[in-house]
Amino acid sequence: MKNINISIFKMQFKKELQYRAKAISGITTQFFWGIMYICLYTAFMSSELINGFTITQMAAYIWLGQAFFSLRYPGMHSNAGYEIEQGNVCYKFTRPINLYNQWYYEYLGEKLASALLRFLPIIIISILLPTNYGLSMPVNFSSFILFIVSLIIGCLLCVSISMFSIYFTFVTLSQKGTATIIVAISNLLGGSIIPIPLMPNSVQNVLNFLPFRYISDLPFRIYIGNIGITDGLIQIGISLFWLVTTILIGKILIKKALKKTVIQGG
Amino acid sequence: MLYNKYLKMHLKSSLEYKANTIFLSMAQALIFIGEILGVWLLFLKFEAVGEWGFYDSLLMSGVVMTSFSLMECFARGYDEFPNLIKNGTLDRLLVRPVNIHYQLLGAKIEFSKFLRIILGITVSIIAIINMNINWNILKIIVLISMYLSGCIIIFGLMILCAGISIYTIENLEFTNIITNGSKELAYYPINIYKKWLTRIFTFIIPIACFNYLPLSFLLETGSIPLWLCGISPFLGMLFIIPCLIFFNFSLKKYQGTGT
Repeated sequence: MKNINISIFKMQFKKELQYRAKAISGITTQFFWGIMYICLYTAFMSSELINGFTITQMAAYIWLGQAFFSLRYPGMHSNAGYEIEQGNVCYKFTRPINLYNQWYYEYLGEKLASALLRFLPIIIISILLPTNYGLSMPVNFSSFILFIVSLIIGCLLCVSISMFSIYFTFVTLSQKGTATIIVAISNLLGGSIIPIPLMPNSVQNVLNFLPFRYISDLPFRIYIGNIGITDGLIQIGISLFWLVTTILIGKILIKKALKKTVIQGG
Repeated sequence: MLYNKYLKMHLKSSLEYKANTIFLSMAQALIFIGEILGVWLLFLKFEAVGEWGFYDSLLMSGVVMTSFSLMECFARGYDEFPNLIKNGTLDRLLVRPVNIHYQLLGAKIEFSKFLRIILGITVSIIAIINMNINWNILKIIVLISMYLSGCIIIFGLMILCAGISIYTIENLEFTNIITNGSKELAYYPINIYKKWLTRIFTFIIPIACFNYLPLSFLLETGSIPLWLCGISPFLGMLFIIPCLIFFNFSLKKYQGTGT
């Protein structure tokens, strides 16, 4: 069983790697957005300082967000959404594999490949930029390791939340609408619209109880040293809890949706 | 008139899938609401940026969102221009005895953007009520011209991107910086940014003409002469001329992408 999943992942991964021109254009786009956001928040932050979040840290936060752009937001598995809308998903029913796992690994491959194509150039360019514009080095080695660990968990969490969008497509039969809603919610609550450290403290406290900020906000803040090692470890524990919970709920929901699906005609 | 026929046809086709159109427009409105909440949260933390407060930014968001959605609704054909090139529809449009711009305006009309237009206007009204403006006739004219100017400048940007795609063929992401990037910048009065960025978006892409320039006219603040701020929306409208020239010039070079 494991082998099938891994080869599904590999296939999707290779498919994504085909689109190199798309990646180059994407990198340019990400780069400009990064500069733009840094200019925006610098304008705010230079009028008033806030505790524990400097402009340098903010710039690093933005660049990490641009570099790992595709791992940041839960979205919609493009093929699955299309297949559900069109009804082609019924062919999948005849295969002796777990559909949840297949979609999970496919989407993971899609996300990872597009991140791998993009992150290195952005990291390199942004490290070369002057301070307050560029990406600073991680505060120390242990926080860098923790950053990697939490980023991996965040990526898996991102995919497991994305699986809900497949369930909602079964319900609404509109993949575009469902994907838009999931992206809108997770962008705001996960810190993609404005970085979470720039939100009012009361809002931050609420967001700690939701899964979205553990996707990218936690790893980025460990990297810039905004969250210390012990705090980081505790929060990684929380993100693991969310990972397990979302996968379990996702599996139950998809199973329910598949049972209810009625295929009309042929 | 031909355009009326186009309009009716698109309205009918979107009403065919009523639930889908409504669901989609609600989803898209949610994105806008999320962005407005972002602006609000930032101002909850910082109170002010430079000389501007929350409601100033809210008015800017309202103006840009209203004009952007209006253009996305009625000028969608330019937005999807790369697709027209790729699947050869453009060649079909070119052999028809009707002006290409006329056809592009009718090529696609997205009614799912309506909710966003309404939201944009609502947000503007909330902002205006909470701002301290001494109204007179001139200011009302400037306020209305902000929306017009916004529409025309954004339309110009869409034409520009369509023109670029004649050379690149592929719908490349980076043209999205020009339109969406400008939109995102204009959520705030753009003179809060670094000088060089403000200059680019005043003199090259005249976002400022429906942004902080008329805003300082309304509030009678700022160091720029007020009369200049007042006529800036009208100056900004001229931006569409070079965009159209560029587009028509590029279209002459267009050779088709084969079958």
